[in-house]
Amino acid sequence: MLVFFGGLLPLATVAYVMGRRKALVADARGDRLHSLPGQYGVYVATWMALPAIAIGVVAAGAALLGVQVPAAPFVLIFALVGAAVGGAMALRRVEPGLRARNAIEKFVYWTLFTASLVSILTTLGIILSIVFEALKFFNQVSVWHFITGTNWSPVAQFRPDQQTAESQFGSVPLFAGTFMISAIAMLVAIPIGVLSAVYMSEYAPYRVRTIAKPLLEILAGIPTVVYGFFAAITVSPLVVDVAALFGLNASYTNALAPGLVMGIMIIPFISSLSDDVINSIPNSLREGAYALGSTRSETIKNIVLPAAFPGIMAASLLGVSRALGETMIVVMAAGLRPNLTWNPLEDMTTVTVRIVDGLTGDQAFDSPETLAAFALGLVLFVVTLTLNLVSIIVIRKFRQSYE
Amino acid sequence: MRTRDLTGDTAEVVRTPTTERSPVRQATKMQVNDLAVWYGETQALHGVSMDVLENEVTALIGPSGCGKSTFLRCLNRMNDLIQDVRIEGEVTFDGDNIYAPHVDVVELRAHIGMVFQKPNPFPKSIYENIAYAPKILGQVRKRTDMDELVEHSLKRAGLWDEVKDRLQAPGLTLSGGQQQRLCIARAIAVNPSVLLMDEPCSALDPVATATVEQLIDELKDNYTIVIVTHNLQQAARVAGYTAFFHLGEIVEFSDTDSLFTHPREKKTEDYITGRYG
Amino acid sequence: MTDRISLTPSRHLKKRYRAEKRFKACCIGALVLAMAFLVLFFTDMIRQGYSAFYETQIRAEVTYNEDTVEFAMDSVSEEVFPLVSRAFFRGVPRQVENNPDLMDTTQTQWLTAKADVDQYLKGHSESLDPEMKASLEQLQADGDVGYGFNTGLFFSGDSKIPSNAGLWSAFVGTFYLMLVVLAISFPIGVATAIYLEEFAPDNRFTQAIEININNLAAVPSILFGLLGLAIFINFFGVPRSSALAGGLTLSLMTLPVIIISTRAALKAVPQNIRQGAQAVGASRWQAVRDHVLPLALPGILTGTIIGIAQAIGETAPLLLIGMIAYIPDAPGNLTDAATVLPAQIFTWAGMPERAYVSLTAAGILVLLSLLIVLNATAVILRNRFERRW
Repeated sequence: MLVFFGGLLPLATVAYVMGRRKALVADARGDRLHSLPGQYGVYVATWMALPAIAIGVVAAGAALLGVQVPAAPFVLIFALVGAAVGGAMALRRVEPGLRARNAIEKFVYWTLFTASLVSILTTLGIILSIVFEALKFFNQVSVWHFITGTNWSPVAQFRPDQQTAESQFGSVPLFAGTFMISAIAMLVAIPIGVLSAVYMSEYAPYRVRTIAKPLLEILAGIPTVVYGFFAAITVSPLVVDVAALFGLNASYTNALAPGLVMGIMIIPFISSLSDDVINSIPNSLREGAYALGSTRSETIKNIVLPAAFPGIMAASLLGVSRALGETMIVVMAAGLRPNLTWNPLEDMTTVTVRIVDGLTGDQAFDSPETLAAFALGLVLFVVTLTLNLVSIIVIRKFRQSYE
Repeated sequence: MRTRDLTGDTAEVVRTPTTERSPVRQATKMQVNDLAVWYGETQALHGVSMDVLENEVTALIGPSGCGKSTFLRCLNRMNDLIQDVRIEGEVTFDGDNIYAPHVDVVELRAHIGMVFQKPNPFPKSIYENIAYAPKILGQVRKRTDMDELVEHSLKRAGLWDEVKDRLQAPGLTLSGGQQQRLCIARAIAVNPSVLLMDEPCSALDPVATATVEQLIDELKDNYTIVIVTHNLQQAARVAGYTAFFHLGEIVEFSDTDSLFTHPREKKTEDYITGRYG
Repeated sequence: MTDRISLTPSRHLKKRYRAEKRFKACCIGALVLAMAFLVLFFTDMIRQGYSAFYETQIRAEVTYNEDTVEFAMDSVSEEVFPLVSRAFFRGVPRQVENNPDLMDTTQTQWLTAKADVDQYLKGHSESLDPEMKASLEQLQADGDVGYGFNTGLFFSGDSKIPSNAGLWSAFVGTFYLMLVVLAISFPIGVATAIYLEEFAPDNRFTQAIEININNLAAVPSILFGLLGLAIFINFFGVPRSSALAGGLTLSLMTLPVIIISTRAALKAVPQNIRQGAQAVGASRWQAVRDHVLPLALPGILTGTIIGIAQAIGETAPLLLIGMIAYIPDAPGNLTDAATVLPAQIFTWAGMPERAYVSLTAAGILVLLSLLIVLNATAVILRNRFERRW
């Protein structure tokens, strides 16, 4: 690889110099050049480098896929030939009338365009990787059973031919756990997030705002694994102790602790999005309310918040989406036992916990438990995608309406 | 009454309008004494004094940045909302200094209504736009009283016939002129005694402007109106008295007719004849 | 209109002011609560973790000879032996190998104590074997027990012996991962942003790309792990647990962050700069390259640093591509099995011994310091070069 690029660089430089020289010669003859001499150089160099890179990438891709490819030196020679041919053809085309600048412009455009396709490919990649495995799973387990079953008890299977008759894949308890923990998180995050955003945008003096805002963002920057440790080692025992004060029995892997910590984690998302939304409400509305003799809180409650409602709603949906997909906190602090209950002090497990559990064990890759992880991933993807799209569209609309 | 020399530091200032119009002295509703305003380091008003007469329309004219809007916003203390603002001097309302410590600014604003440059109806229904303030001020509690008040206010603002069938429609669905009249209806619903208008027609088309001007003319029987306007013809049409502001001072203040026909000051003449501004 | 109006607050208004106060108190309360969490969190981590930065050491006579190289446990006295970390004895042969002069000498050295002893002295555990306790008390009386900076925390790899476990291999893994993420997501991210902001026609397809990017920024990270597992590892055959697999996966996660912040930075460059450049005959690309990009660069770098910081803290997708394996040695290249800081923290958090709790918290403090340094750099960069137009 190093040889490849190390070799390409001087070659490209040579091509650049040659292209430029030819253009300069033409210029000296008195022909009017369409573009700058250097641009002809770049033109030749690009045409030389492109085939070489293309051959290299194809070879590397093929090697990764396990296809037989010629040994590295041959690939190198191949690339060299490609480079020479490309470079020579480009050099022949260099003449005063050649629109080298436009060609470069076009090349840049298509390079940038290709880069922007990567994000689309990523989404496609996620969908494909999940859907195929999930389909395999649904070949073995009925969709109906998966969606409505209340018993999740996969039997570990270490060889593909093992009996799997006793495995149960009813996902209801997993979703119940996920929603319970997310609900607790949102109960913490929405009021605290929105109210602190209101304080920062409507009440706080400039100085307080400049200090409080970055401090809140620190909460967003803390890695989730750290929150997970905090939930497991500090908050869970605290919940157990407090529950005991009230004579209640709480499990050490209760749903409340990860829920609370997840809520803290989501506060900054909600508050910074709400802050943006509240700030985009035009000041004329506030002045209108003040001029009628409203107090500040009346203005906020009756005018600003209702106007900002769609945006705050969208922010909350993004928060929910984040809570549903959060993994580390629940892996470290929530239980492993699928448990269908309304009591947040009991241990519960979630979809993400089961995905991690299904894919980090020693099971064969095609075992139903592994495939079940992908099925759960599919549901998670669909649900979060819906939430994200709704909130993205609402936010776009909202921005447009106040622009 | 001598006017203040623009360059000099004459102590005497324009205060009551120099008038040839009416021999009857009208009651003074608001009195401004030596009002000075700073935004941070820059001074926007340099000791302005002026009387606002009851049940009259007083227009404030002058080039952009002359301080007329700042002046207007001092009359109901809207400037308090701006950070880094410093206000000195005295503004009285029925004889009470509104900048005195015992005065409550929320209470004050309920008595001095304001209409803004751009119509700013709340993102609520037409009905709610008007009912909002009387409700929070605790003026009206019964639903039937409120219905009556909404109807009355809309009628006063000349909007009733156009919206009576769609009171629950969002206020933002109205046209610009209708929105501005809705804002006027909203302001008079709480029964203020003074109405401040900050270029209320600048965002409206000529037809809507004419409607609003006619409305202002009708309202002056019951309200004291102070209007800031860029439009000299508008001042001439609606106002009984006009003050010409320049660089944070009042250059001339008199009844509208004489200000436009026989300006005393060179600056005023230059401005109204369109030589600058 | 002749009634005199009172401008002092009426009874009703006083009631409204009480509501005002309550509401404002709620808002302040919310912010204070959020700040309290932050304080609680940091004090808790420091409380849990500070003790892992120093270690208990025991002064002992160490004998180096043929026998002790073979049976290292004999190199110290019988009383001291149970108190000293096993990692020391493992290292005796290597010590001699590296420094042959040691052979047949007796040295007085400060040795890292066993985790049990360390935890007991730090007050984290109550119980200690009575015999060990007795010899420990004897040593303490002689002044042979002391504390020193835990260099192992930074310079050794992971270990099943808590007193020997450190973050070195995680540092190296994180460094490789950062390189991969930077090499992939920075050029692609910036190119995408330039395309969308400067070149893309305003049509359905462009809007689809935009919405897609916004969505990617909010897709649960674990789903990127599924992608990494299914596509990079199972399909393309990138070695499992390697920094390359992790880096590729996290690159895709970081991409939207870089794209969004780069677009914001490009958007902040006023339109008249582009028009000015094009008016003097620059092509679109030349205008962007020579005029817009240099102005947007601080914003782009800030966004990139923030994106990298996010990637460094990410764990969930790495679990799925096997980066939680036990990796005692630092990886030598991109395809070696590697671990990273957050994965190391996760592994330690799952260990049963008490000593690992402090180690985990210490690891967290190190990770947080790294992130704070990165983010502070980003903030300084932004404040230093930020321009108001």
